Amino acid sequence: MRLEKLPTEMAKRLSDLECPVFETMPWVEGPPLRERRVAIVSSAGLVVRGDRVFRGRDPDYRGISGSTQANDLLCSHISINFDRNAFQEDWNVVFPLDRLNELAAEGNIGSVADTHYSFMGATDPVQMVEGAREVARKLEADNVDAVLLTSV
Amino acid sequence: MSALAHYLEEEGIASVAIALIRQQAERTRPPRALWVPFELGRPLGPPGDAAFQRRVILTALGLLEAKPSASLIVDFPDDDPREMPDPDWRPPVNTGPRAGLEAGALAEAMSAELHEFAPHYAQSCTKRMRSTVGLSGLSPAVCGDYVVAWLRGEQPPSPVEDMSPALALRFAIDDLKAFALEAGIAHGKPSSKQLGDWLWNDTALGAALHVLRRQCLAGDDERLKTVAAFFVPALRVVVD
Repeated sequence: MRLEKLPTEMAKRLSDLECPVFETMPWVEGPPLRERRVAIVSSAGLVVRGDRVFRGRDPDYRGISGSTQANDLLCSHISINFDRNAFQEDWNVVFPLDRLNELAAEGNIGSVADTHYSFMGATDPVQMVEGAREVARKLEADNVDAVLLTSV
Repeated sequence: MSALAHYLEEEGIASVAIALIRQQAERTRPPRALWVPFELGRPLGPPGDAAFQRRVILTALGLLEAKPSASLIVDFPDDDPREMPDPDWRPPVNTGPRAGLEAGALAEAMSAELHEFAPHYAQSCTKRMRSTVGLSGLSPAVCGDYVVAWLRGEQPPSPVEDMSPALALRFAIDDLKAFALEAGIAHGKPSSKQLGDWLWNDTALGAALHVLRRQCLAGDDERLKTVAAFFVPALRVVVD
């Protein structure tokens, strides 16, 4: 986002938003991209239709099966700072599962995860630690070695 | 989002973040991030443009092959072409400005307008083979009736078994906004600004949500006040 396109006050609020500071810098290496198994982890508050929607700043997460159809993915993010219309028109702008499947079919990536995950991005990240570690264990069990993180 | 990158990487899962706000990524310092200049809400860029999205995702995933670094933040070079207005787009329903109408009249106008949206919404669903209406679990018609009741000053019980009246109101409104915006993309490819200008300036629904927001914020029900803050986008709130 080019913040200069927003009203000054909103741009400043987004720019100055309190963010966690990390002293350490983990860096996990892996095989070439064409051998990686990739999952999407989104902070867009995505839920599969019928699952419990994010009701506020919930700290937990939702799993999204790789067989989920576009008609069954909803966005329950609480923020009013972004428009939903791009997601409404094409789920790939937030949850690029079709693009990942294409890249896997072409051999640009190794494969696509069985399950993807979503958090509620308006939640204080510190409260997400437990859920994130649980997601990491599930990703490892699915042999995932690359995560594409998408925010809104 | 960048914090999640730290948490996953600490557990041994490599990650790359697509970051929309560069300043936040610079402070959180994820291992790898691709900053994109797109509007909030669209980290992959233009809807319906698979080739563009593919370039974004390949640029991001390519960072996984970079050598270890303190924090790698790379800028994507191109803007989203869909940010430009579509000169051929026309709104599905031309109701015109409704600001200034009192709540009762707005309730009537909103009910009528939702009926007018319905065939355009149906066409849009057919075209996209999907809908994002469904957070409340109610049909658009029931959402409309519920919001109209609040607008008329009633305090209807929650129509959703495990939601408070205030929470059901929030999600019913989210569903009505999706219903209207999906009707809005039935015929053409408008920019988000075109759609937003139409919804918030030229529809009865938009005017009704402004009024309902003010009503709820002026009341003494704390749960309603909390959800009312989310009825109208921050950039569309009219300061009295």
